[in-house]
Amino acid sequence: MIVLDHCQKTHVVFTVVEGYIEETQARYTTQMSEQSAREVFTNNKEAALLLLPTLFVIVMFLYWPAIDTFRLSFFQTTLTSERFAGTYNYIRLFTSGSYQNSLFVTFGFGLVVVGGTMLLSLFISFMLYEVDRFTSIYLITAIWPYALPPAVAGLVLLFLLQPDLGILTYWIRSIGSIFGMDLGLDWRTSGPMAFVVVSITAIWKQLGYNIIFMVAAMNNIPNTIDEAAQLDGISRSNRLFKIYVPLMSPTLVFLIVINTIYAFFATFPIIDLMTSGGPGGATNILIYKLFIDAFENFNLGYAAAQSLVLFLIVGVLMYIQLRVTDRYAHYG
Amino acid sequence: MAKHDATERDAVDRYTGGSLGGSLPDNLWMHVGLIGSIALMSLPIVLAALMSTQSVSQIYEVTNLAPGGQGVDNYTRALFEHDLFAFMINSFIMAIAIVIGKIALSLLAALALVYYDFPYKNAVFVFVLFTLMLPVPVRIVPLFELMVNLDWINTMWAITVPYLASATAVFLFRQHFMSIPASMVEAAKLDDIGGIKFLIYVLIPMSKGMIAGVGVITYVYAWNQYLWPLAVINNKENQVLQVGLKSLEGTAAAGQIEWGLIMSGAIIALIPPLIVLVVLHKPLLETFGLQQK
Repeated sequence: MIVLDHCQKTHVVFTVVEGYIEETQARYTTQMSEQSAREVFTNNKEAALLLLPTLFVIVMFLYWPAIDTFRLSFFQTTLTSERFAGTYNYIRLFTSGSYQNSLFVTFGFGLVVVGGTMLLSLFISFMLYEVDRFTSIYLITAIWPYALPPAVAGLVLLFLLQPDLGILTYWIRSIGSIFGMDLGLDWRTSGPMAFVVVSITAIWKQLGYNIIFMVAAMNNIPNTIDEAAQLDGISRSNRLFKIYVPLMSPTLVFLIVINTIYAFFATFPIIDLMTSGGPGGATNILIYKLFIDAFENFNLGYAAAQSLVLFLIVGVLMYIQLRVTDRYAHYG
Repeated sequence: MAKHDATERDAVDRYTGGSLGGSLPDNLWMHVGLIGSIALMSLPIVLAALMSTQSVSQIYEVTNLAPGGQGVDNYTRALFEHDLFAFMINSFIMAIAIVIGKIALSLLAALALVYYDFPYKNAVFVFVLFTLMLPVPVRIVPLFELMVNLDWINTMWAITVPYLASATAVFLFRQHFMSIPASMVEAAKLDDIGGIKFLIYVLIPMSKGMIAGVGVITYVYAWNQYLWPLAVINNKENQVLQVGLKSLEGTAAAGQIEWGLIMSGAIIALIPPLIVLVVLHKPLLETFGLQQK
């Protein structure tokens, strides 16, 4: 009996979901057929002129330097000269212990930051979605870290988490002592602790962006699905993880990609201001190492080879996003 | 059994608009959870703001959370002695130039991509979109050399022009134009107005929300730039605020780091994008596809 009951409930939910998918598919098709009706201007010269500024900037400042990165990565450089060096930079890169360390640290950091950010944002977004009063005040006070500059996030927590005079460290230590723990919390000398501190800072800054997209995705779930789930008496946590999360999957894949790129690149100010990659390379993420090699050691060819590795990483991420969102494109 | 009853009542409440008795205790936890999360998220900034008013000796009394009397002093010294005011002006010029330039260029490109019939259109669009794979770090070294060759090191050109084209903005405007009914352009064609006039008199007035949204995204993005200005600007007169904060990091008086002063700098750097977000949050959220309930 119970099994049958469960099947019926699932069936109701699925029927509604299918209806929703068909509806969005239909909308998508009409949009496509209307497309050509808009192309009323036929002057090719005018079209070229309109596109010229954008194309000029992307060729000159995006494509050309990107291609030149590839060339430069095969050269050995000093401040004044370039010398062809074949695969020297790449061999040096992959036999370098500090580069292997950076790769390891960066992927670990990416995993922690993406996972932490998305899990916390999911819970906060779900609460925002569930409450039916004060919604706009809650929303704006929950998404404000969107405007938080990473450099500010880094400086503020650098101070508040100072081992000797940070108030947050003091509070954490006090809580620890209740449980009989003697927490030193000297993250200026402990690698793993420094890693945790920069991860927390990076997660904090990224919450706002994720909440915006997650609430948007939840709001796009049609009320009928919601009502069916509620009528069937599905519990809150089941509703979140078994209905909302699968329906939100295109948004979640998008956010995984965006957050990974954020963790790999945009956290540079946090590392620069809080740890300078230390202690002992524990927070020396790829982009920080690249910057030091390029602009402090002036090892431009070596840095270019590192850029190329970053490009491959971005490429794989974008490919995953395109593949997955293509498959789910009809969900909107 | 009891649990089943409770959820059923909850479901019924949804339909009847929710009687207080049924939904309040349940939703109360949601409110408590939200207020707790938001308080935790905001706590570091509240503490930083408090301590930005404290003197060095007050900072060194760790548990002293009372507002100190040195706020005005800290902020004026950060702004004028440590040049944050000058950095801020540079940041404003940079951010506003990027916002205006990026919106203008992307509107023109989107106009061509949606309303013009020309060969290789999809290829051009893909060519623009592919730049999403080319963030600054994958081209930083040659881009730096290009700045040296153009003699743009330590100039506003270096921190604005490379940012002017945007795959995201072109994509969003294109998407938005495609949602405007095709009949609009047919009417314009009958009146025999050109593409540019159509953009200025029809499309822009119909895209105000989207333009404001892209404006906020771009402003916050430009204001927060750090890596690239750090690489191409190495004199004080032309530095931007985010990188300028770094110069505060080492400020010490009599061997003690002036954290109050540093926190005032952090608050100064946070306020402009925060104001932009609060004032323009509606168009921003709509641009991101979030319709407020």
